[in-house]
Amino acid sequence: MRFAALIRQFVLRPLRRDKLRSGLTILSVALGVAVVIAVDLASDAATGSFQSSITSLVGKVDYEVSANGGVDERLMAPLTALPVNAQFAAVIEQPVAIGLKGSVTLFGVESLVDSAVAVVSSDAAERFGWKAGSTIELRGRDRTARFQVQKIVGGQSVGWVAVDIAAAQQLLDSYGRIDRIEVMVAQGEDAAGVARMVRAAVPSTYDVTTPGARSEENQRMLRAFRWNLRILSYISLLVGAFLIYNTIAVSVVRRRAEIGILRALGVSARGVLAIFLGEAAMLGAIGSVVGIGLGRVLASGMVGMISDTVNSIFITSAPAAVAISWISAAAAIGTGTAVAMVAALIPAREAARVAPAEAMRREAREHEARLHVRRDLVVAAIAAAAAVVLSQFGPIGGRPVLGYVATLFAVGAAAMISPAFVGGVIHLLRGVLRRIPGAAGLIAGRSLSASLARTSIVVTALATAISMMISVGIMVASFRETVQVWLEDQLRADIYMRAEGQPTAGIFPPLAQAVVPIIARTPGVEDVDAFHAFTFQYEGEKATFGAGISSIVQRHNTLRFLDGDAVAILQSLPGRDRVVVSEPFANKHRVHKGDVLKIALGDRVAAMTVAGIYYDYSSDRGFVISDWTTLEKYLPQQPVTNIAVYVGKGADATAVRRELELRLAEFPVAIAPNATLRRGAVEVFDRTFAVTWALEAIAIIVAMLGTANSLLALVLDRRREIGLIRYLGADDGQVRRMVLTEAGLVGLLAAGLGLMLGAALSLELIYVINKQSFGWTIQFHPPLVLLGGALLLVWVFTIAAGIYPARFAAKLQPVEAVHEE
Amino acid sequence: MTGTTAVRIRNVRKTYEGGVEALRGVSLELAAGGITALVGRSGCGKTTLLNLCGAMDFPTSGEVEVAGLITSGLGDAALTGLRRGKIGFVFQFFQLLPSLTALENVELPLLLAGAKNVRATARERLAWVGLPEKADALPYQLSGGQMQRVAIARALAHNPAILVADEPTGNLDTASGDLVLRLIRRAADEFGSAVVMATHSAEAAAIADVRVQMRDGLIESVT
Repeated sequence: MRFAALIRQFVLRPLRRDKLRSGLTILSVALGVAVVIAVDLASDAATGSFQSSITSLVGKVDYEVSANGGVDERLMAPLTALPVNAQFAAVIEQPVAIGLKGSVTLFGVESLVDSAVAVVSSDAAERFGWKAGSTIELRGRDRTARFQVQKIVGGQSVGWVAVDIAAAQQLLDSYGRIDRIEVMVAQGEDAAGVARMVRAAVPSTYDVTTPGARSEENQRMLRAFRWNLRILSYISLLVGAFLIYNTIAVSVVRRRAEIGILRALGVSARGVLAIFLGEAAMLGAIGSVVGIGLGRVLASGMVGMISDTVNSIFITSAPAAVAISWISAAAAIGTGTAVAMVAALIPAREAARVAPAEAMRREAREHEARLHVRRDLVVAAIAAAAAVVLSQFGPIGGRPVLGYVATLFAVGAAAMISPAFVGGVIHLLRGVLRRIPGAAGLIAGRSLSASLARTSIVVTALATAISMMISVGIMVASFRETVQVWLEDQLRADIYMRAEGQPTAGIFPPLAQAVVPIIARTPGVEDVDAFHAFTFQYEGEKATFGAGISSIVQRHNTLRFLDGDAVAILQSLPGRDRVVVSEPFANKHRVHKGDVLKIALGDRVAAMTVAGIYYDYSSDRGFVISDWTTLEKYLPQQPVTNIAVYVGKGADATAVRRELELRLAEFPVAIAPNATLRRGAVEVFDRTFAVTWALEAIAIIVAMLGTANSLLALVLDRRREIGLIRYLGADDGQVRRMVLTEAGLVGLLAAGLGLMLGAALSLELIYVINKQSFGWTIQFHPPLVLLGGALLLVWVFTIAAGIYPARFAAKLQPVEAVHEE
Repeated sequence: MTGTTAVRIRNVRKTYEGGVEALRGVSLELAAGGITALVGRSGCGKTTLLNLCGAMDFPTSGEVEVAGLITSGLGDAALTGLRRGKIGFVFQFFQLLPSLTALENVELPLLLAGAKNVRATARERLAWVGLPEKADALPYQLSGGQMQRVAIARALAHNPAILVADEPTGNLDTASGDLVLRLIRRAADEFGSAVVMATHSAEAAAIADVRVQMRDGLIESVT
């Protein structure tokens, strides 16, 4: 028989014959593929471009010279004097306020000779209503300056303003320091040689990197966040894979007689294997193509959510357009098809192994499924043990790879336990099931346990989706509770201040010098903790270096340490090369109390001893905090970027805040009472997980589709039985009740298995994956009421998934179903 | 009550889609407590006539009266009630639910009807067919003859006025077939059911009180 004819008759025709079920399976695969694509596309777009957008002004940059705390401007002279064919340009890049309306990034460049003009981005022009010729007012730390807009650069998605570098330095009071020196190598010159000479000419604490390296650094910072999202997206694909397995397994059972006939007619075992793998490939390929389109649409919806999180927590970035290349599309189709074929391998091989005579008997196969239960339990125990062992290992390349593998083993263990679990629970419930009127419970329970192999796969697929919902739900709730307790513990100041403008991770705009004295003089103010923060590099990763007044921190007990006496630790900081580090920093860089950190500050390397490690949930970047007096030794005259104000006992905090708002009205200062800051922090937290909930909902939908599909398959396979039951006196309502009871049982079984698996996975998420990805300690706080409600909802939806199969069953004509002539 | 008419069929025609005339004007009466055998070659209309007697199908023209009710005028609920209360079915291929035990198969019509004392009644019927020890066996653990006996117990669970049997011995060996036929005879005698049986078997026809010979959708003779 020719292969093409085989495919047409035995792959395409059965799929066409069963349009509804084929459609449901394709949709399940499509959703699974769509989610994976959407997360990748949206993450790529959301992280967007980190590069400076001013290439049109300075030209193509080959290298950047930078340093923690800024670059000494005096280095321009020796660099320019190097015997190389290259140009060197000093660049300033800092946030500035636009009156009291917001902020933009200010670039100070050498190419703009006229100190009275500015070139602005189209994004900034749109935001603030600027046109060519407009006069704009920029506000630095303590000065204001006016510029005339000379040109608007179109197609920009980030707000920036470029002015002459000298004007920028004057505005920012940053004489003598710039943010980087850009190196443009002339054509024909040896770029690597230039880089070598530049490195030799600058202090050893300076970095000489390509612009791409900065982008790569930023991408690395996001890797844990992106990986976790990616893994979550794979759950839907995994659920889809279970459903493909089930669809092909059902197909093998239903076409058992056909297989026997084919084998009797001379089709080889390999030919039978090809038929069923072909069916899976067809479903996978069509599903993937549909999934690409769906994924593109989903990605557009997700970009905003992911971009929000990236900007709030990690780094400034401007979302780019969602774009899918032909290569990505081809890869998606390949992956979806491959996953479907892998999922179908076991049932396809079973079909190929079946001898023609046995193919005519169904009961033997189900009997086999029961016989393997004991073996499956042993495999489950081994898989569970493997999951526990793998959880003990640390990250690989900064990623909790073995944690993810442990998760897969846990899901595998659940799949192996499923037949025993399903059979056992139905057996336990037999008394209850009998009490359901009209034999609905009796028949539903027996039907599910008689098709144990099929039932357990459907239950596992739904349980996997439920376990994801449970585990992430527990993790997020635990995290939220931990953060809220931390906020209550640590945020003790009455009023918090920073520079006006959208808060963005890694950016700490300076406050005017006059602000702190004004606050200190305000009646009712007891303490003013002035803080300076800036982003710095440590072991190739971005972190935040901060300096505060440790005596105030100690007085108000606002840092909780993993171990050691907080008072003693904080008292040991002033005037000495000692720091405290946050828990994420310590975990990421494997730092312990007493270790010495070599931190490049300006043109010197400071050897800082770690005095203590404190709990911090404000960011996973990691903080290194010293006392002001320590920072002054290495980077003198740094501006204040954040302020915490403590109101005296007996003073009215609200009245003090109002007074401060009046006194600071002319300064671009954002003032927030404690409650507002806490609320804002929780809102950022909730927004961060918005995309997670969306992914979970999709996984549940995929599982629901699979459940409806499987119930429909069960009804179709039991046409004769259902017809017989009608002969015995069942009415439409009783037949519908039987199918709905089956749906309810499937939902109940999946909820039970999903709850157990979800609880186990939540421990993995909290104590292994989250810890290794972000470095936080999370206290376990399962939200029992929320979980109970969610499980109930899923159970109701599962019953709803049985509505169409129930109606279909009720419409079956008994005579046609039982007819034997 | 023996002697009374359980089923009346008056000048019934049945034409299926595609124009196939399965019955071309058939009239028949089935007496309570009696056994009527429908004999004839495949395609003569026996199964169609059986389905009409069991209120599982309707005539294209003519009238079918089952237990005093004209079936054509009944809605789905009434027909279901009729099957629950008045009619029992025995099939050639037994048609037991494979996932239920023998006892549970017998209980099924009683559960569907919401009857009381379901278990006790089912055990009685199973004992009546001589298989009390097989109550917990699944169908695949029973022989063909045993499965058919369980099917008979199920068909008699609710004391039906009419017992419809389609080739009840068609799939059995001689000994099992004889046993099944004896049970059918007892069902008519002890339960007073009007038995209508489609059969190719001479032994099955031999136990009948009335033998209806069919050919090409018509009754050739009644003996």
